[in-house]
Amino acid sequence: MSIEKVLVPDVGGDEVEVIEICFAAGDSLEADEGILTVETDKASMDIPAPFAGKLVSLAVSVGDKIKEGDIIAEMESAEMESAAAAPAEAAPAAPVAEAPAAPAPAPVVEAAPVAAPAATASEIIDIAVPDIGEDGEVDCIEVLVNVGDVIEEEDGLITLETDKATMDVPSTHAGTVKEVFVNTGDKVKEGSLVIKLETAGSAAPAVEAPAAPVAAPAPAPAATVTPTTAPKAAPVPHHPQAGNVNKGTIYASPAIRRLAREFGVDLTLVKGTGRKARILKEDVQSYVKYELSRPKANAGSNVSGNSGGLQVVASKPIDFSKFGEIEEKPLSRIQKISGPFLHKNWVTIPHVTQFDEADITNVEAFRKEQNVVCEKQKLGFKITPLVFILKAAADALRAFPTFNSSLSEDGESLILKKYIHIGVAVDTPNGLVVPVVRDVDQKGIHQLSRELLEISIKAREGKLKAADMQGGCFTISSLGGIGGTAFTPIVNAPEVAILGVSKSEMKPKWNGKEFEPKLMLPLSMSYDHRVIDGALAARFTVHLAGVMSDIRKLVL
Amino acid sequence: MSNDIKTQVVVLGAGPGGYSAAFRAADLGLDVVLVESRATLGGVCLNVGCIPSKALLHVAKVIDDAAAMASHGVTFGKPEIDLDKIRGWKEDVIGQLTGGLGGMSKARKVKTVTGVGSFTSDKTIEVEGADGKTTITFDNAIIACGSSVIDLPFIPNDDPRVIDSTGALALEDVPGEMLVLGGGIIGLEMGTVYSALGSNVSVVEFADQLVPAADKDIVKVYNNYNKKKFNIMLSTKVVAVEAKDDGLYVTFEGKKAPAEQVRYDKILVAVGRKPNGHLVAADKAGVNVDERGFINVSKEMRTNVPHIFAIGDVVGQPMLAHKAVHEAHCAAEVISGKKHEFDPRCIPSIAYTDPEMAWVGVTEREAKEQGLNIEVANFPWAASGRAIASARTEGKTKMIFDKETGRVLGGAIVGINAGEMLGEVCLAIEMGADAEDVGLTIHAHPTLNESIGLAAEIFEGSITDLPNAKAVKKKK
Repeated sequence: MSIEKVLVPDVGGDEVEVIEICFAAGDSLEADEGILTVETDKASMDIPAPFAGKLVSLAVSVGDKIKEGDIIAEMESAEMESAAAAPAEAAPAAPVAEAPAAPAPAPVVEAAPVAAPAATASEIIDIAVPDIGEDGEVDCIEVLVNVGDVIEEEDGLITLETDKATMDVPSTHAGTVKEVFVNTGDKVKEGSLVIKLETAGSAAPAVEAPAAPVAAPAPAPAATVTPTTAPKAAPVPHHPQAGNVNKGTIYASPAIRRLAREFGVDLTLVKGTGRKARILKEDVQSYVKYELSRPKANAGSNVSGNSGGLQVVASKPIDFSKFGEIEEKPLSRIQKISGPFLHKNWVTIPHVTQFDEADITNVEAFRKEQNVVCEKQKLGFKITPLVFILKAAADALRAFPTFNSSLSEDGESLILKKYIHIGVAVDTPNGLVVPVVRDVDQKGIHQLSRELLEISIKAREGKLKAADMQGGCFTISSLGGIGGTAFTPIVNAPEVAILGVSKSEMKPKWNGKEFEPKLMLPLSMSYDHRVIDGALAARFTVHLAGVMSDIRKLVL
Repeated sequence: MSNDIKTQVVVLGAGPGGYSAAFRAADLGLDVVLVESRATLGGVCLNVGCIPSKALLHVAKVIDDAAAMASHGVTFGKPEIDLDKIRGWKEDVIGQLTGGLGGMSKARKVKTVTGVGSFTSDKTIEVEGADGKTTITFDNAIIACGSSVIDLPFIPNDDPRVIDSTGALALEDVPGEMLVLGGGIIGLEMGTVYSALGSNVSVVEFADQLVPAADKDIVKVYNNYNKKKFNIMLSTKVVAVEAKDDGLYVTFEGKKAPAEQVRYDKILVAVGRKPNGHLVAADKAGVNVDERGFINVSKEMRTNVPHIFAIGDVVGQPMLAHKAVHEAHCAAEVISGKKHEFDPRCIPSIAYTDPEMAWVGVTEREAKEQGLNIEVANFPWAASGRAIASARTEGKTKMIFDKETGRVLGGAIVGINAGEMLGEVCLAIEMGADAEDVGLTIHAHPTLNESIGLAAEIFEGSITDLPNAKAVKKKK
């Protein structure tokens, strides 16, 4: 029988205040029942029991400030008892079997498990999170293995979610999972321990899943706090007048403080216009007026604080079922992640879209000839029109370096890039992703074709890494395979332009004497007008179309 | 006879906090019942506190001032003291004020129930009065039950020669030898009265300074002025009092303790007041009262029971009428639906002694404890024309400014009329005024009050009535 310390899990903040204690010492709890409730500046949440058992003592009281890792209580585990009994029988048969006694409630229970005795087998290895192309921590959204699972090399262990994509962490070896250190909702980074694995070659008479009493790893407490660990919800944008004033030094008379209280005005946000910045009644009034005139904050939106205060009026809820049958389906993860970024780009970048057509009659003829060759040589790929567009775009980017730039953070300067990496929007079953093809200008048509094939396969299988989607200078979104004559793509910030490609069509073109049938490719290029002028944009698309109509220009 | 009343607001206690709460609530259109154990409104303050003591202090001042004139060429005869008449005058003062309150209460249609009220639930109060029980069912209650004097256990409290502030104000006689136990505001005020009336007054204080809440330099001015008037024993305590027929024999211990027992005709115990939170059966309403008797409230003056409020001495220090009145208004306004809070920047304190000591905001000591970056400007009244003309140059005006911003953080004045002058400093703190604001405000000359403006000028470096430490050094 053992008594375990219950620690504060990641609560998504520095310090949180205990606002309620739900159980007293001596109470029996189920796993996941909230022991106490804490409040952060964003939400209140329960800290759940990591396992079922009896609360032995509480180490905190209401009003205490606690942070991750603090001890909040001691619990006597119900499972611990049975688990402790079990190995006694199993032990002679399976010397390694004690390990699973750990219900692996990892982050919450101090020194939970085992570790030491399990290390007897030399074939037991640790598998950690590899380089995931992210500097910081990322969320683990799913744990794919349980203690006792027999896995193959490359099998996914956990699924991680970054700003840009989800990815699995693969196993480096085949074997039996001895211990799982990560729970759903945990944050991990490169080097974080994921599992202990007994490699397949080992002769250890692994008892399969002696973990029996230990069903799934205890659901991570962090799971209940998702709202706070989610991308930091930016507060409603500050008032433009916002000052950074200590409450005690607010320069306002008692009457003004009372007025402010009546309207719920935070005087630290009000700029005083009186002598020495004293806050006057008029200042409070105009603050209130200003606030009322602002569109209501878009609740729950992830619009960042520097979005310039652009907010839209919240739409009224509509009961669509009044009009007919409906079904509610959650947005896909990628949609949820990309939505706010698309929204931000759409409202913060002054978009202009330049339309043009490229004559691709010749390049298409050439491409088809080459594909015949490719097939004969069994190169394993086909050359798509997109590869030529990539090359032409790279050429245009070199000719017009303004297009290969980003605005500096303060908006005071332009950062010009000397490399040409181009993102390609790929439609996948899970949603739109944009892997980046590197150094397009330095690669040939064959190599680009091969790479395009690889990344689109990876994209469709959800195996792109964050690094695969970083570093783009320009984006191409091709809907040519589907149809349409033109569209207005959204610039993929911090890039400054994006090329949309629609379905090519045979059109009669006047050559001076007669109409000639020409295969015309519609181009729609949206750009950030803060960086690029209309004339420059027109020159860019003309250049690009020119290269497409005669790819010999690429070698000029 | 039993009586049932239903009301929107019941106020328990009719001291300055209680009646202010009742009147404010009534003026905001609420139906109000005021419960008071005394026959008259006004509580301790009006009946046995602030007001009668000021009446007697006025008597003392005139006696002292008249005597002081002898050295300036006007000699009066020895004053004849008619204690009954003085007492009568004091009663008139009380009567005038409490009568006024009674009238205002009627005009506002506040129903007064006389008797001792205590909670029977969170919706009812029972009042035990001379003419029977009254049960008041209320929507909201404001507890304003105040405080009472602290008795010391080792003192024969039943002996009529041991009195508290109420007994002292009763002015039964003028004892030859009087010991004031406790060198706080109340003890010193009453000591001043009895000294003027002819008693030999000794003051014993456990702390190392009188009026421990005030800054040392302020109290030092008081001590120097009263060296001859009082026998002051600091860092000393009374350990035993033996009642004998010819007097009370007191044994002291501490720094200034006389070796022998000392005989006194009367002992005034003025060691402080304790909150009356335990006297109203607040627990029956579910209101939390701490072990000392205080009731914790929010900034809206709400207790832990949302519809029950508490104000005044029972919610905490400082136990001052003016604090209670503001809390009272806040509670009444919150009940009427206003979004008000009690959030003063400062609460003034005044000892109506001679000289008076008055202070507000942070004291120099508090500023140091809080690590505030302050600059202190002292204006000695020796440089004040008005003080010289009044032959009272012992005083001084001290202003405490934020060194960086010049903001007024506190002020302390010792001297005649110091209490009357303090209002300006309170206003300056509440308004967030700085030294420049105060210094540029034209103060009438010659007044004692101008010393505040002059202290600000010291900080600003624009003072001309004193040597200017911040004057620009002349180039040679």
